[in-house]
Amino acid sequence: MVDMARRSSRAGVAAMAIVGMAALTACGSDSSAQEGEGGVTTLTMTVWGGDTDKKAYQERVDMLEAAHPEIKIDLQLIPGDQYEQKVQTMIAGGDGPDIMQVAEGVNVYSSKGQILPLDEYIASSGLDLEERFGPVGDLYSYEDQVYAIPDRSGAMVVYYNKDLFDAAGLEYPNADWTWEDAQAAMEELTIPGEQWGYGGAGWWAQWWSFAYQNGGQIIDDSGKPTANSPEVVEALQWANDLTHRHHVVPTAAEYADMGPDMGGDPAFAAQKVAMNTTGFWAIGGLLEADFNWDIAPMWRGEEQAVTAFGSGLAISRDSDHPEEAFTAIDYLTDAEAQQVIIDTAQDVPANLEVQQSDAFLAPEWAPEGLNMGAFGESSSFIFRAPFIPQWNEMHAAFDDNLGTFWNEGGDAKTQLDAIQTQLESVIR
Amino acid sequence: MSTIVGEALGAARATSPRRAGRRRLPRPKLSRRGKVEAFWFWVFISPWLVGFVGFLLGPMVASVYISLTEWDSFTPAVFVGLENYARALTQDPIFWKALGNTFVYALVSVPLGLAVGVWLANLLNKRVRGRKLFRTLIYLPTLVPLVATAMVFKMVLAPSGPLNDLLGLFGVHGPNWLLDPTWVKPALVVMSAWGAGGATVLLLSAMNGIPREFYEAAEIDGAGPVRQFWSITFPQITPIIFFNLIMGLIGAFQIFSQVYILTAGGPDNASQMVVPLLFREAFSFYHFGYASAIAWLLFVVIMVFTAIAFRTSRRWVFYETEVR
Repeated sequence: MVDMARRSSRAGVAAMAIVGMAALTACGSDSSAQEGEGGVTTLTMTVWGGDTDKKAYQERVDMLEAAHPEIKIDLQLIPGDQYEQKVQTMIAGGDGPDIMQVAEGVNVYSSKGQILPLDEYIASSGLDLEERFGPVGDLYSYEDQVYAIPDRSGAMVVYYNKDLFDAAGLEYPNADWTWEDAQAAMEELTIPGEQWGYGGAGWWAQWWSFAYQNGGQIIDDSGKPTANSPEVVEALQWANDLTHRHHVVPTAAEYADMGPDMGGDPAFAAQKVAMNTTGFWAIGGLLEADFNWDIAPMWRGEEQAVTAFGSGLAISRDSDHPEEAFTAIDYLTDAEAQQVIIDTAQDVPANLEVQQSDAFLAPEWAPEGLNMGAFGESSSFIFRAPFIPQWNEMHAAFDDNLGTFWNEGGDAKTQLDAIQTQLESVIR
Repeated sequence: MSTIVGEALGAARATSPRRAGRRRLPRPKLSRRGKVEAFWFWVFISPWLVGFVGFLLGPMVASVYISLTEWDSFTPAVFVGLENYARALTQDPIFWKALGNTFVYALVSVPLGLAVGVWLANLLNKRVRGRKLFRTLIYLPTLVPLVATAMVFKMVLAPSGPLNDLLGLFGVHGPNWLLDPTWVKPALVVMSAWGAGGATVLLLSAMNGIPREFYEAAEIDGAGPVRQFWSITFPQITPIIFFNLIMGLIGAFQIFSQVYILTAGGPDNASQMVVPLLFREAFSFYHFGYASAIAWLLFVVIMVFTAIAFRTSRRWVFYETEVR
């Protein structure tokens, strides 16, 4: 009798244990890198994006698997807003992906030794970063070591509505435009309350371009924040004045009235703004547009400067097969596989050879005469954004102090002084 | 292990209040049926026990330790003692701002939600035509996923959106709700009132449970509708109001999705709340220790408010079974 009670309670404990074990093994099962039969190595690869990205990456992975039968890639596409958290959780759980896409936040990982320095692999494979990628070859470096190979890399460009420009009898935007030229055109193109000359520069990629054009830097070459230097202040003030003094950019309130999640990109597609500065991705949404548009390199200030968007491929410290992973990355960033990026209208490939090829300059899907050369032209004056390990915190400092400034106008100096103080406490 | 389990089992079966006092006596032996019952008890409760220990108690204990360390989730944690707590309380203006915002939100939205809930429940309790339809309509917003609600409210609260149009009819020039630091918290409160239907349903059922004789007696004594409400209805539903108050407080202090979707804490942290802040610290800045410390500080705040609510409840919550 007593035994029975014991047994029953023991059974309960056992049941608990089994459930617990199941949960544990489910977490711990390591499917990332397994040596299958016939010496095939399976590598996990994490990337972010949507359907276009999935298609492009899968096509490239298929090419890789055909060319290297010993490698199999388990491609994991993660929505962009969850990517960092997902990868962080994978790494923290000791199950980081073999190959992972990284961008501005790369040095969160490199500074903490979570991704491998690639210099040795680069040397032994004979890959010449400078030759393959030009000036962005060592973009993803930290303390003189390369941590990721560039994969996608495109400058921000000016999208402009040709119809509106023609109607106003204006010259199209070009790289020789100064701030004054740009502003004059914006003023011509603005019909108060109805149409605006420009989509605005409230996003860091936009107003930082102006700051660097003006000779400023957010973080100087020695790693110290210089966010409130006179050059940066002047650029930020100009960006803000376009909205609140010159009224050639919709205010936040005007954007909010156009619909939820409205901004420069959708407003340009809706012909509400005549010019918009953004990355390659906007092209996809404009292919079906029923008005004439084109792209041009960014205008200039004191000097030429523009933000670039891109991403690289890195190998996590958890990878059991770093050599195979590097072979894969080498193949994926080589001309043949990179051409898929442009064929699928996904992005600008980082590979220079492809960027200069006819496949890029006159893609099948592009409207007649689209100035794809704008990207190549811009690449010579891309500024090096400070990819510090505290990248997210740095941006929070800007967001925390510029919200009202962008919404309602204000004094750039006051805000940047506050930001500078905050940055000094973040970047130690 | 089996003794501990057995003891817990004994405690669970100590249903008679008289037995509870005699702790020293040996546990009465279980009958055969009792044992079988006990076996099934453990079988059926085990998923929840496993869930509780593995996914709630375990992480909670771990987070106490993490809050005493500096940890980026990648490299080994460094023990720093109470530094994270000290930093939050003495050096981080954003923490205080977020805490202040959360206080304002909780202390306005919860009473408002209760008042609206009681008012609606009282209206729905009247014998009006289409009562069932109204009840459904009022509960409906609670069924809409929060994310969808937030998206809709983005449009409703737009500078020239429907809400401001409505205010315009009364000659009020509505603010740029979500873009103005002064108005962004009221905007979140307005959105919380949208979900008052959940409380309404509970209050309504409590009102339905009040015996009609009370009202008949009051009527004979000459009490009007207002007097009847305050002397009969209100005291009778205080337990449900109290329940909604506690749940509302806990929920309000933990506000996350609305902020995350509608404002991301902006402009200038005017709508930053504690939970979004700790989420940002942990998953965007990689400060897990600091985020855990913030979580425990929030826990203390919620405990204090809940304790205050319980303390004062003796004075205003009326339980019929406990008439003294």
